[in-house]
Amino acid sequence: MISTLAYGLTVGGILYIISIGLSLTFGTMRIVNFAHALVYTLGAYILVTAMQVLGVGFFVSAIIAVTAVIPLSYLIERFVIRTLYGQSIDYAIIATYAVLLIGVDAIKWIWGAIPIPLSDPVGASFPLLGVELPIYRFIIILISLLIFAGLELFFGRTVVGKIIVAGLEDKEALASLGINVDKYFAVAFTLGSSLAALGGVLYAPITAVNPYMGFQVLLICFAVVVVGGLGSIRGTFLAAFALGMVMSITGRFWGPAADTMVFVVLGLVLIIKPIEA
Amino acid sequence: MLNATLRILRKFDLLVIAVLFLLLAPIISMDRSIDFMIFCIFVLAYDLLYGYMGRLSFGHMLYLGVGAYAFALSGEYLSGNAFLALLIAVSSGAAIGLILGPVVVRTTGACFALINLALNQLGFFLILVAFSHWTGGEDGMSASFKKIWIFNFSNRTIVFCFTFVCLLLVIFLVRRLTNSLFGILLRGIKENETRVKFLGYDTFAIKMAAFILSTTLSAFAGALFIINYSYVTTSFIDPLRSVEVIFASLIGGAGSVYGALVGGVSYKLISNYLPNYIQRWEMFLGVILLLLVFKFRSGVWGYVVDFINRYERPAGESKSHSEVSR
Repeated sequence: MISTLAYGLTVGGILYIISIGLSLTFGTMRIVNFAHALVYTLGAYILVTAMQVLGVGFFVSAIIAVTAVIPLSYLIERFVIRTLYGQSIDYAIIATYAVLLIGVDAIKWIWGAIPIPLSDPVGASFPLLGVELPIYRFIIILISLLIFAGLELFFGRTVVGKIIVAGLEDKEALASLGINVDKYFAVAFTLGSSLAALGGVLYAPITAVNPYMGFQVLLICFAVVVVGGLGSIRGTFLAAFALGMVMSITGRFWGPAADTMVFVVLGLVLIIKPIEA
Repeated sequence: MLNATLRILRKFDLLVIAVLFLLLAPIISMDRSIDFMIFCIFVLAYDLLYGYMGRLSFGHMLYLGVGAYAFALSGEYLSGNAFLALLIAVSSGAAIGLILGPVVVRTTGACFALINLALNQLGFFLILVAFSHWTGGEDGMSASFKKIWIFNFSNRTIVFCFTFVCLLLVIFLVRRLTNSLFGILLRGIKENETRVKFLGYDTFAIKMAAFILSTTLSAFAGALFIINYSYVTTSFIDPLRSVEVIFASLIGGAGSVYGALVGGVSYKLISNYLPNYIQRWEMFLGVILLLLVFKFRSGVWGYVVDFINRYERPAGESKSHSEVSR
């Protein structure tokens, strides 16, 4: 039971880290950014490569992976999303999906399609009420809490953060104040993407790194964003941990159903509170 | 001269389409053309939602898969009568539209796309894992049917004729519907739903009708696929394959019956012949999708319509755009 709870919190933490970016693009632009899944997958692959080729430790590789995806995410924002935004949401969604297809195939080309297992970077475990729990999971939970606190400060205290929050509420009103909205959305987009890469990096030692890892996670994160309320940053936090718990508890009783249960919850939420958007 | 030819073509378009598909059979084997025709039905069903109503679904394989599995399962456990199975497949397609519709059609844009994808993932899991005892899981199951009258579905020519007639019927039905008030209202919803509501129409009912029609036709296409292949696997409900129909719809030109047909045939031609020469198939699809989205939005049929319009206008006979593209 303790290990189920701890696993739920770990998954919740990772889901939160990944979902932030999705929630920001969804809330500001109403676009599903499929390329988010690509950034997530790429983060994990760069981590593996950095560890194998450069021979540096997990945490240095993690920093390399997160910084490496920033230029890529800027390019996606600048040349795909911003060009299509305002013309048609559908085209923007299809275009990000195309980017995901190209990216995943490129990953298969470079690294091959075989899943790469990764060992626990800490290796030690910690006894809690008679159950041995890996310390790495506590680190993940801690990181996600730190990110939550950091984002609360960023969105509540800094000008850039406040402008992004205002953009979630009403983009037109913000633009009419003479603020270059696109510039700040680019910041939000890049921030979200680098967090997605971090999520990929943190999740890599728990599962195996494979080219299609992004597809499944993207859907679960979409469920998190919808359950948490579109564009609500705190709602995303709560929903991520709640759905992480749902996944871990379902997984304890019937392993293959863990991911699917999330969609059942999503369906229930949508029946109770339909999105009229 | 050419104008007169065009007018005749327009009048007998169903006949022209029929002749073109019949010509396709000897050029690219009969097996392939059966596959092409069924895929065209699926694209037509998809286009009803995407092209006409402006709702982009990323999980339309679910509805195809429901039809495919309903068909195969009723053949396995109920009776060997293919027509009964077909009826069950079509009605389960309608049923799934009726059940999921109230949740799905309220949403637009990104939400609509992803809710369909999530539901597709759910269906995929149910077929692959939860009901694997009955559906055979990843291995799939075979479906064989008794011969009824002349309908012996292990004979390729019979299958060809049957799908051919089905395709023509579906084209006729979709064309009739989209040219009616219903079709105009669908396009109205695509442009501005609030205004359609303001005119006093119940947009929810219209959207439900279009959604159910689309799921039913998709399920019908799924069942036809099983008649053709006589086995069913999870690839018929795989959410990752939903991009195929989006691709077909875009390349042909969304929002037109002819566009859907051109798109269905072009996609199938590309996917049947190009993988022999191209190693990185997904990358190729992605690049073409980006090109379509950035440069060639109206698709192949859109350019044909443009060309015809440009030719006709100097002749003084200004046909309205919608009449050409219908």
